[in-house]
Amino acid sequence: MRMMKPERRCPNTGKKNEILYGIYEENRKLSGTSPQRKRPLLPKYNKSKSYGTFMVLLALFFVLVPAFPDLQHQQVTASSTFSNERILFIPWSEIIYGRQIDNNHIQLSSLLIAKEPQLEVSFDARNLLNYDFLFKNEYARIGNIFGLDIQTIVIDPGHGGKDPGAVGSILGAVEKDIVLDIGLQLRDLLVKSGRFKVLLTRETDQYVSLADRVDFANSNKADLFISLHINALSQKDYNVTETFYFGPPSNTYTLHLAEQENRGSKVLIEDFNNMIKKIGDVLKEQESATLAATIQHSLFANLVKYDRIIADNGTKIAPFVVLLGVDAPSVLVEVSCISKNEEEVNLNDPDYREKVSVSIEKGIINYLTQRDIQIAIGDENGKKKYNKNGRREVTGRY
Amino acid sequence: MVKKSTTKTADEKLLVGIDLGTSRSAISADNKKKEWIESYVGWPKDFISRRVIGKPVLIGEEAVKHRLSLDMYRPLQNGVIKEGTARDEEAVQEMIRHLVELVKTEKGSKIRAVIGVPAESFKVNKIALRKAVSEFAEALFVVSEPFAVAYGVEALDNAMVIDIGAGTMDFCIMHGTIPSEEDQRTVITAGDYIDEQLFTFLKERYPDADFTMNMVHRFKEEHSFVGDIENEIKVEIPVNGKSTSHTITAEMKRACESILPAMVESTLELIAKFDPEYQDAIRTNILLAGGGSQIKGIGSYLEKALGEYGPSKVNIVGDPLFCGADGALELAREMPEEYWTEL
Ligand SMILES: Nc1ncnc2c1ncn2[C@@H]1O[C@H](COP(=O)(O)OP(=O)(O)O)[C@@H](O)[C@H]1O
Repeated sequence: MRMMKPERRCPNTGKKNEILYGIYEENRKLSGTSPQRKRPLLPKYNKSKSYGTFMVLLALFFVLVPAFPDLQHQQVTASSTFSNERILFIPWSEIIYGRQIDNNHIQLSSLLIAKEPQLEVSFDARNLLNYDFLFKNEYARIGNIFGLDIQTIVIDPGHGGKDPGAVGSILGAVEKDIVLDIGLQLRDLLVKSGRFKVLLTRETDQYVSLADRVDFANSNKADLFISLHINALSQKDYNVTETFYFGPPSNTYTLHLAEQENRGSKVLIEDFNNMIKKIGDVLKEQESATLAATIQHSLFANLVKYDRIIADNGTKIAPFVVLLGVDAPSVLVEVSCISKNEEEVNLNDPDYREKVSVSIEKGIINYLTQRDIQIAIGDENGKKKYNKNGRREVTGRY
Repeated sequence: MVKKSTTKTADEKLLVGIDLGTSRSAISADNKKKEWIESYVGWPKDFISRRVIGKPVLIGEEAVKHRLSLDMYRPLQNGVIKEGTARDEEAVQEMIRHLVELVKTEKGSKIRAVIGVPAESFKVNKIALRKAVSEFAEALFVVSEPFAVAYGVEALDNAMVIDIGAGTMDFCIMHGTIPSEEDQRTVITAGDYIDEQLFTFLKERYPDADFTMNMVHRFKEEHSFVGDIENEIKVEIPVNGKSTSHTITAEMKRACESILPAMVESTLELIAKFDPEYQDAIRTNILLAGGGSQIKGIGSYLEKALGEYGPSKVNIVGDPLFCGADGALELAREMPEEYWTEL
């Protein structure tokens, strides 16, 4: 069966040749095959002038710009509407913007509808390439994860102390208080199950730097890390719920950056492939993604009862390097938007916050259950029949 | 790596286009054969299952059928070939091998393949793919799935393909060259997400009804829609073991519509990156592909939503199951000889 053809607008043959050549080039690059001849390979029937020009331009480009230009510090300047916010411009994904907390830390949020980025971009892409940093400790954790050994959950209520976070405009409700209350309730819920040790990065209205939060999680050997935040959008009538997880922002992106970085550092393509592979290996990212998804589902299912038009932005990968520092699977929940007046009223209501805590707890439990099932089905070696504490037997295998 | 075919001259060559999907994979060959399988690979869990099943590995539907005694792999889940375990790579290899076996007629014919993969796994996994097929394919090109679709229908310039698959929804704008990263985008609200949403909504409304994810998946494929429909959707779900009729219209609508915001936004954002003079052209040349394109009303919804920004036209591929594989085959056919041998 043939499919419907959309309108054709141009004679396609020339285009096709160009495209086929593009595919060839791309595949060749990635396979690491070096071209047999110096000149780019062109189909004989298509040695058009434009290729020559193109290659010359390309060559010139590399000569003139040996170190790839400022992706690290892309500048998109314009007027500023969020005074202390900076947009992190990520070319193919959402616009994620951050509010600067202090010199080293930015709180991430994202724009629902990406308008033109209006603010200064300052985003140190090199951090994303710190592979050693990414790999450290990852393998140690995998054992734990397959052993079902989730013992310690660290909850991280955002902001605190001198850093209020987002503030509502009608009641003056403050993010730091809301997330602390949700965090405390979430802890109580999780502790009740008797399965975990639950720690908070702060239990009072106190300022904790992001680095300290990371340290706290790692030194307490967190098995899961859940950061709680409330969003604020410039579009007042939007309400959005979303959950971020921390990982390489996307393989394509990392790769793209890495390619650029490699130009300077002369990393061999083989090494480079290995690095990329390792990133793919990192179980933490998969676990974080799953955790983010279960929390997000549960949370949205709850919130939509109160705000029929709240948008489910789903889960997103945030290239937030500082929090990559937490060894455990980590997520950041942006519960909802305090910038919408009705939502501020909701968030100010203790009952509502309790519902939020319950739904996040449900998400976490769903994640753990789901994993139990997966492990029951998929444990490769079939060695582990129960975890170290012997609490939960894995069934269904034998 | 791939050997050059200079020694033997009169080798039989079989060109194939493969669409490696998260949930389904398809192959089209230039001997006119076409096949598809469920993207599952399963190995017997232990010695006993191995004996019972009588095969070292099961693929596709057969694997699904015996899933309880198998270690199951869906190697492209989440749009990424998980390279974490050797098994995943092996699973891809088995899947491709199986697909190729399905269309191969001549025993010794050399395979030249173009493989479309979910956009997100595009670059990284080429390495894994290449390894996976080097054993039985002479040469291989990997392209992104929406791109293969676009090529197949010759939507090469000022066009946009939206491929709504199971794990991901992939967007790709074509403007006469091979699409760059900025021309492409992937979001993870797609078919699986609808299933999960629908499951949640139904659980909420009918807490006593006894249904599984599989059933929900079937309901979706049978009744999916966005916008309005005339008749209520009723399905049979057991309650306390007794089959009972349930109305699921509202839940179906909500679940299916949950992917729309991301779809519209991503479309708008991608188009907005182009010069205004091209925007209308792209907006009037949008093609929906993938299983999700079969959701009733989804094309006209998008067309209307985009209509607020200027003229718009959305088409839906005629054959969502094979359009990716067909496009990949078209690419294979038109790929110059030098390119094949050079790789
Ligand atoms: N009629 C339908 N209505 C809605 N969804 C459908 C329909 N048919 C198939 N799908 C969904 O499309 C997805 C599979 O699409 P496909 O393009 O084969 O994906 P992939 O390439 O990821 O395997 C699945 O989630 C499937 O349930």
